[in-house]
Parts: sequence; C-alpha cells; structure tokens
Amino acid sequence: MTTAVTIPRHGGTGGRTAVAARARQVVKAYGAGETRVVALDHVDVDIARGQFTAIMGPSGSGKSTLMHCLAGLDTVSSGEIYLDETEITQLKDKKLTQLRRDRIGFIFQAFNLLPTLNALENITLPMDIAGRKPDAGWLRQVVETVGLAERLKHRPTELSGGQQQRVAVARALAARPEIIFGDEPTGNLDSRAGAEVLTFLRKSVDELGQTIVMVTHDPVAASYADRVLYLADGRIVDEMHNPTADQVLDRMKDFDARGRTS
Amino acid sequence: MTVWKTSRRNFFAHKGRMALSAVAVLLSVAFVCGTLVFTDTMNTTFDKLFAATSADVTVSPRTARGADELPANGEPVSLPAAAVEQAGKADGVKTAEGAVTSMSVTVVDSHNKNMGSSTGAPTIAGNWTQNDLRSMEITSGHAPRGPTEVMVDADTADKHHLKIGDELRTIAVTGDIRARISGIASFKVTNPGAAVVYLDTATAQVKLLGKPDVFTHISVTAKPGVSDAQLKKNVATALGDSAAYKLRTQQEAADANKDSMGSFLDVMKYAMLGFAGIAFLVGIFLIVNTFSMLVAQRTREIGLMRAIGSSRKQVNRSVLIEALFLGVVGSLLGVGAGIGVAVGLMKLMNSMGMNLSTEDLTIAWTTPVLGLTLGIVVTVFAAYIPARRAGKISPMAALRDAGTPADGRAGRVRAAIGLVLTLAGGAALLAATRADKSSEGSLFLGAGVVLTLIGFIVIGPLLAGFVVRVLSTVVLRMFGPVGRMAERNALRNPRRTGATGAALMIGLALVACLSVVGSSMVASATEELDRSVGADFIVQPSGNPQPIVPQAAKALKAVPGIEHFTDYKAVSAKLTAPDGAVEDEGVVAADPTYRDDLRRETVSGNLADAYGKDAMSVGDAYATRHRIKVGDRITVAFKDGGTARLKVAAITSDDTNVDKGAMYTNITTAEKYVPADKMPKNMIMFAKAQDGKEKEAYTALKDALAAYPQYTVQNQADFKQDLKDQIGQLLNIVYGLLALAIIVAVLGVVNTLALSVVERTREIGLMRAIGLSRRQLRRMIRLESVVIALFGALLGLGLGMGWGTAAQKLLALEGLGVLEIPWPTILTVFVGSAFVGLFAALVPAFRAGRMNVLNAIATE
Repeated sequence: MTTAVTIPRHGGTGGRTAVAARARQVVKAYGAGETRVVALDHVDVDIARGQFTAIMGPSGSGKSTLMHCLAGLDTVSSGEIYLDETEITQLKDKKLTQLRRDRIGFIFQAFNLLPTLNALENITLPMDIAGRKPDAGWLRQVVETVGLAERLKHRPTELSGGQQQRVAVARALAARPEIIFGDEPTGNLDSRAGAEVLTFLRKSVDELGQTIVMVTHDPVAASYADRVLYLADGRIVDEMHNPTADQVLDRMKDFDARGRTS
Repeated sequence: MTVWKTSRRNFFAHKGRMALSAVAVLLSVAFVCGTLVFTDTMNTTFDKLFAATSADVTVSPRTARGADELPANGEPVSLPAAAVEQAGKADGVKTAEGAVTSMSVTVVDSHNKNMGSSTGAPTIAGNWTQNDLRSMEITSGHAPRGPTEVMVDADTADKHHLKIGDELRTIAVTGDIRARISGIASFKVTNPGAAVVYLDTATAQVKLLGKPDVFTHISVTAKPGVSDAQLKKNVATALGDSAAYKLRTQQEAADANKDSMGSFLDVMKYAMLGFAGIAFLVGIFLIVNTFSMLVAQRTREIGLMRAIGSSRKQVNRSVLIEALFLGVVGSLLGVGAGIGVAVGLMKLMNSMGMNLSTEDLTIAWTTPVLGLTLGIVVTVFAAYIPARRAGKISPMAALRDAGTPADGRAGRVRAAIGLVLTLAGGAALLAATRADKSSEGSLFLGAGVVLTLIGFIVIGPLLAGFVVRVLSTVVLRMFGPVGRMAERNALRNPRRTGATGAALMIGLALVACLSVVGSSMVASATEELDRSVGADFIVQPSGNPQPIVPQAAKALKAVPGIEHFTDYKAVSAKLTAPDGAVEDEGVVAADPTYRDDLRRETVSGNLADAYGKDAMSVGDAYATRHRIKVGDRITVAFKDGGTARLKVAAITSDDTNVDKGAMYTNITTAEKYVPADKMPKNMIMFAKAQDGKEKEAYTALKDALAAYPQYTVQNQADFKQDLKDQIGQLLNIVYGLLALAIIVAVLGVVNTLALSVVERTREIGLMRAIGLSRRQLRRMIRLESVVIALFGALLGLGLGMGWGTAAQKLLALEGLGVLEIPWPTILTVFVGSAFVGLFAALVPAFRAGRMNVLNAIATE
C-alpha cells in the first residue's frame, strides 16, 4: 500500500512519510452493557498521501464514523489515530480545532457555506479564522481550477447547488491542508453537477497532489478514487484499487447478497 | 381542538425559548401590581394612622390662611386655655383636652446632631395627652413630669441609640429646652418617619408657643352614644365664636390629612405606573421578536400543516394561543412577584425610617385582575403580527429550504412611512423650540417625541443596516474575520436587529433626554446664580422651616471679616393697587444691601430707590396687570400693623427663577408701620465677606452657628453643589425606575441571541468543523451582541439628546436658558451599553460553545 511519493507536496513542512493518516485498532462504541453498539470495531487503516481514497459501505457500516474520527471531529473509544506523525486521539478541543483549521479540509454533503459570506470569503474563511494571509497565486489557481472566477462576489443563495459544492471544494483546497475529508460531497447533486465536482477532486489529486478521503455510497463517485475501502459492521472488509463504476457496483451487490444471507 | 393541542405542545416544547419572554411579561406585570399593592397599602396605613391620631372632634384656631400652614414667624397660632374649659362644658363631651403641637422645632442631641428625619418627614414637638394614647404607648420610663424631662418616640430613639437619661435639646423659635429623656413611647400604628418629642404641658406652652395657658388645638372625646357630627355641633355652640375656631370631626380631619397625603401617593402611583408602561412597551418588542423567530424556525413545519389542510386561520390561531399561554403564565407569576415587589418597596421605605407593617398589605381584587388582563392583552397583541405572518406561509414552504428572501417592497413602504413620521416628529420638535407659549410648545414637544420614537422604531431595521456597518468599521474590524462575521450576522435579519435595538433605544432615549434636561437645569441655575448672586454666604433653616431667631442673627453679625449682612423678612400685607384691586401678596422687607446680594434686572426705575423712604418695587407681571408705572403709589396694609402708602420706585423683570415677582421694600420702611414685637423674624440671611477674607469668614460663620444646629450656612460653591445633588438625586430615582425598561430590553437581546444561536446551529457546527475555536465562536456572538446593543444605544442616545435639546429650548421660556449636554453621562451610557451587550451574550455564547460539532452539522 506504500505508493512512491513522486508528487511534490504543497504547503506544510517537508520530510513527510507516504502515509497521510492512519488508524490503529480504532474502536468507537456507543452506550454500554446490553445497549452497547459498536460503530468501529478495531479498524486499522492507512491513508496514502497524494491519493484519492473512497470509503464505501451500507448505511450503519460505520463509514461516516470512521471519517469523522480520522478528521478529528469525533472521539474514539480506544485505539490511535495519526495525522502524519501527530497522534490526534489524545488532543484537547483547542488543539483539535487548530488541527482541523490548519491541516484538514472539509466538504460536507450540504450546508457547506456560510450564507452571510460571499464565495471568496467562504473560500478564505479557514485562513481568515487562523489569521493567515492566503497565498494569492495559489488562491487564483484553485479558483480557476474549480471554475469560479466569475462568481467570487456571489452569496451562496445566488449559486446553484453544484456551484456551492465547488466553492466548498475550493475552500478545502485553498488552505493547502494535508488531507481533505468529503462526507458524500455529491450526495445532494444531480449526476452532471456531481460529475463536475468529482472531476475537480480528481484533478486536485492529480495536478495539485492533494490527499482526499471521501465517504460515499455512490459507485460512480467511488470510481473516481484511486482506492476504495469497504466497511461493514464497523470493520474494513475489502478494498479495491483503480476501480471502475461497474466493478464497484458489482462488489456492492456482492456485499448486499452476503449481508442478506448471513 | 387540534389547534389547541398543537399550540400547547409547541409551547411546552419551546419552554426554554418562551422563558425569557415570560420573564418580560412577568417583570412588567409585577411592576404594575407591585405599584398598586404598595400604594393601596400606604393608603390603608395612613387611614389607620389618621384615624388613630385625630380625636372625635378637634378644635383649632381659624387663621387667615388656613389652619395647617406654618406661620412666618415660627410661632404656631394658639387658642386660649379658657376655650378648653368652654368646650368641655358642651353636651355629650366626655373629655376636652388642650394640646400643644409645633412643627417649627429642631431636636438635637448633646452633640448637636439633628434627630429629625433625613427624608423630609417632619419633626414634631408637643405635650403628652390622653389622645396620644390612642396611637402610642409608653414602652419604657414615664411621660415627662417637668421642664427637665422629655419623652421621645421609639423609632427615633432606636435610630440614634438614645436611652433614658440622655439629653435632648428641643429648639423652637420661642424657646430652647434642654431636658433628659424620661420615657420612650412606641407607635401602635405606622410611624410615617416623623421624629416626635413630648414635653410636659406647661413647658410646651411656654417654650413652643411663647406664653402660658395657650394651646394649639383641643381634642374632644364624645360620651358613648354621641355621634361625632352631633358633638361637633354641641362644641361649636359652647364655644360661640364661630369665626375664631375651626372644628373637625375625626372623619373630616382624616380626610383633610389624606387629601395632602393622597395626592402625593397618586403622583407616585402614576409615575410608577408610567414606568411600568414603558417596560410593557419594551416587552412588546421582545415578544414580537420571540414569536417572529419561532415562526421563522417553524416555517417548514407550518408549511407542512398548511399542505395537509390546516387553514390560515388555524395556523394564525395556533400562534395566538401559544401567546395566550405565555401571557397567562407570565402574568400569573407577575401578580405573585408584584406582591413581592410591594413587600420589597415597603422594606425599602422601612430602611428609610418609615415603619410600614406587612400586616397592612392591601391587595384589592382589581389588582390581580388588572395585572392579568394587561399582561395577557399585551402579549397576545404583540404576537398578532408574527401570527399573521405565520398564517401567510404557503404550503410550498414545506418543500423549500428554510429562509425566505426579504420583501423588498415592504422595505420601501417601511422606509417611506418611517421617514415621514421621523421628519414630522423632527418638525414638531423644531416647532417646540421656536414656540412662544409653553402650552403650545409642550404640545409640539409631546407630538415630536411620540412621532420620532415611532418613526425610529419603523425605520429601525433600515437604520440597523447603516449604523451596524458604521459601528463595525469602527469597532468590529479590529477583531478581524470574527468581527466581520459578527457584523454579517447582525445584518442578516435587520428587522430582528432593529427591533432588539429599538427595545434598548426606548429606555436609553429617556435616560439621555432626562440627563440633558437635568444638567441643563443645573447649568442654567448655576449660570443664573453666577449672574445674579453677589452674596458670598447664605444662612437658611436646615430642616424644618424655622425663621432665624434674633440671638442667632446677632451671633452671626458678630463674625469678623464680613462686609455686610442682609436681613430678609417676608411681611404679610394686603396691597391695594391704584386701580383699586386688592391682592394678598405680602412684601419682602430687606436691607438695601440685598440688591447687591441678589442682582435683579429692572424694567423701569432704579432698584436702589425702592429702598428709599416709603418706597418699594413691584414685579413686572403685577405692574402690567394693574397698569402701574414708576411713581404710582400702592396702599400696603401690613398684617398686625399700620397701613402705608408706598411709592413704586422700580419695576423688576420677571425673567428670573429666584424671587420671581417679589416686591421689595426697606426694613426701615416696614418697621415704621409694624410694631417691633410683630415684626417677622429673618427668613433667610445673606452675607458678603470682605475681599480676601472669604475663607476665614466662612469658617467663622460656621462656628457662630455651632450653637444653632437648626440653621445652616453655605457659601456659593456649597449652595450650587446642593442644588446639583438635589437634581442628581431626582435623576437617580428616575434612572432607577428606567432600569426596569432596560432590564427588559437586555432580556430581549439575550432572547434574540439565544434564538439566533439555535437557528444557526448548523452554521456553527460548520464553522467549528473548519477550525473556528470555541473562543472565537464565543467572541463572534459577543461581538454581535455588543453591536446590537451599541446600535440601540446610539439611536436611543441620539433621539434622547434631540428630545432633551428641544425640551430645553422650550423650557428656556421658563428660565432654563442654558443647554448643557452631559457628555460624560452620555459616553458612560454608550460604553455601558457595550458591556450590557457582553453581559447579554454570556449565556448564548456559552451554549453555542458547548454545542457538539457533529450533532450541530447534522441538525435539520
């Protein structure tokens, strides 16, 4: 799983390993005793740097929980999560917030943007919060990549759903995070707008060397990824490299069938 | 029925959000009920007091000006002891007792410390009679038995730690009594704060009234079965001379006493109800805002209700029923709290020396009814607009995302209406400043105040956009992106920001207006004093109105370093103008130096000539009324003296606050016609120090008065400070009452923020996810709160200063010539409101900070 790191990294300090994030024996359980529900059951995973990883699985498989834990949005019951060399499960809220701000980018399914800020302000928001000046050249490049140069002064309500998600992608990219997490970023879009957004994500991996982890249940979306992880009952049950939509779909059907017979 | 059910469920589902609105209703209702219960209780208390203190029939001498007025020379009018015997012989009389009472006294302890009330309640000295036993009982020691014994009331004894054997000095104009306390008497009814001392009858007669065998009134008790009215008739017949005596039954005496007390209580009641009304007005904004936000948050839910077949009316009604719940709950609690407020006010009065007993607590049935009605009607009325808006929500709203775009047309209509109202109000204020007559001017002023207030409320949301932007460039920008987001949030719903700010605006506008008028009053008075007063020192009675006894005047005049002293006496006299009109004006008899002590403008003639032989001056108004010119003669019939024909030598201008309309003549002129023993004593004295000796003279004058604690000497600076303190005290009371309205407004800010935080849960979750720290989040909410508060403050202070300035210009007709804007106060209020904003944001910011990021993002 250790792919050679040939793509130059943007931002941050040098001397990186090939693994952007990893989880070791991560358990996430809700409740206790009889009512204990295990969402993640001793998960080990490595997220390769400069790759586009998709996490798939049926509802309740723990795929969103895994992403939230990796992103420092949720706490784990046991186990360790590393972002690069930083062990994040021990961090307090303040450090965790800084980590999300400076090293992680987010794209949510919906409601990604602050309605009071225009597109550009939304894009630079994480850097504004951190009190950092955005790199003008990089910003221009990101904005051009996602094709929003004409709409920077628009408020979110004046943008289409696809445009809004592209702004969200631009925001995630603009701060040059080590890793971007997407929580069904195309879940609310029609197939054309969804394809647009996914193309940009793909492009940012290929051209900008970005690391992306995306949760999805859409085989077409997953087919844009370099690698697909399959979760079921809180465990990683399978993975696939350079998949096509059909392959993903077939594999899903497999799981479904197995799920029904078991 | 389903409407009822959904309303009830909604109400209880949102009880947290309803709580603050309920508190607003509660506070307003509590203040109304508290005021009513308190004033009713005061009335009960005074009824009891007056019933207990007056005898079945009281006989007092009939004086020219009414029995209760204090005579100018400080000697109470008396009736002969023989009258007591006469009255005692009347049919149906059980007892007739001569009583002595004087309020022209000062009581001090052995350290010359005044024992009197500091709150304006009188000091009373008298003899101890059987009638007093109805309202008091001797709780230790015994009643005074000779000139060396005195009895004091228990409240005064407690307050000043007096015990039996201590020396008390009772100073009257006609005598000075040093006696040891022989007994202490407690009030059986409420003591309204008066300090009371009892002397034995002979001492009281000689020392308080100046001669033996006289009394101030007779207390007559009826035999069983004789009515007070019958008794009054019998005693009147027995006394014969109906012109000399005034008789009152217990009921009549109580009524007369209550008249003066009652009107004071009424003024207090209506003033307090006025402030409660302002709190209600502010509360309306809070309720409108709360319901608007609840309706906005439920847009989808209401859309769904409409989609599945609820009529507009049903939706509308369901919101109003929720308001009804709120009104009922808030008002019920408010009525309860009102009784608490009344008890609190009574405790406050007790701490100021007025012993009100909670046993007298009077709750008229009208009080809770009024409180409930007012609370419920106001709440439902305030919820009507949001309810109508809820009814207008289309079924489509269920399908759309929450948040409807602002109605542009409504904004323009609003702007137009608000602008017209504000301009009309501004024009009215301007007209008020230019008015020639104060009656018509005050009409303009009133209209201007109301119109500008409504105008500002209407355009508030539009002003919010502008003002918030300006404030942000000044204040928020330094907080970087957090400040910018706070600005955007405050601007997001201008109507909400406008209404929240307007609530604060109302209270602060009144504060600003009153502080401008108050400091203009001080400035105008100071300016006038500077302009007109030439005297360095003024000597006046300290508490009770007591003329300056000759010994004290003599002691003062012995002080070295004084250029001159001026005696000032008010002499009663009937004046007959050349046109034959008779007026009971009286004249001021003063030393000629008085015209240097108080410089007066003259319309014609020379004021110095008025102090010449058989000359006088008159006021402009009197002169105009009777067409008097300099050189005319006026017939002056002095009371207890001869009649003079005095030449008018000067006409003084009435454009003044001091001695307005006074007519001056020389003391030597008055002395020619009034016998020395009938000559009134000095009301007031003025003195001017020799150059450079002001300081020494002041100290010496104070020393000279050490033995006369009933008088105070002040220099100009102290006098001005006194004036300032008096106005300041009055303003503080008013500010205190306005605090209620401001508290309600602050609750409004808290509510708006709390609901905004709930509304923006997802947004907050998003911002936290992408790296906004808790501190930054809390700061963002605090800044939003501060900017809303500053917006309200800016509007309120601006409006209030406008009102205050217009009021001053109008009152310039009444001598309020100088406009002074109290910038320190205004600035303090402005900065203070920023802190109010911080305070209001405490809880909402804390709750926002505690939100779980994942849950927040996941909320619908």
